[in-house]
Amino acid sequence: MYQSKPPESRYQSRTRTNVIRLFRWCGGWGVATALMAFGPRFLWNRALVFTLLAVGLDVAVGVGMILANKKYVAELDELQRKVQLNSTGITLGVGLIAGVPLSVLDAYHVIPFHADIAYLLILMSLTFAASNLYGTRRYR
Amino acid sequence: MKNRLKVLRAERDWTQAQLAEALDVSRQTINAIETGKFDPSLPLAFRAARLFGLPIEEIFHDQDPAPL
Repeated sequence: MYQSKPPESRYQSRTRTNVIRLFRWCGGWGVATALMAFGPRFLWNRALVFTLLAVGLDVAVGVGMILANKKYVAELDELQRKVQLNSTGITLGVGLIAGVPLSVLDAYHVIPFHADIAYLLILMSLTFAASNLYGTRRYR
Repeated sequence: MKNRLKVLRAERDWTQAQLAEALDVSRQTINAIETGKFDPSLPLAFRAARLFGLPIEEIFHDQDPAPL
């Protein structure tokens, strides 16, 4: 039998609004970053002014994303904030302990590939997602 | 820290979602407090005390024995 969903609480509604806002800023930052990375080669033939404008846009949208994330975390309840804090701490630690050795291994040509910053971003993203999932399940 | 949140909630026939709504937190947080996985902050404990109309120490108890 069909059961209607219970009405959304104030907390759920506030969190949903903040998640949507953060998601939009993250998407915007992704687009701005792609524009900054590929625009010089494919769109404006390396014209310096446009490249600098793209960098400025990327930084501005990035600041917006940070502020949206700050608001999202500030309006979470204390348990969710704890989960976020744990995930952020683990991600920062993993980024440090993986990033520095990777850079050293690249500098001494121990690894056969260039230690691109993208590898570190991917590792940190996966670490944050995994630790967030673990934290959420732990307190379920 | 132990607490009587689940008992007090059951006495009033409230669901976890209803208590969460009244305290402006997630249902997950209420569940974590009730099962002892998470200790609430003082402001949240006071909000719960106000909601149930009880002194805070009648809802939350320290598990450790008092020092001599």
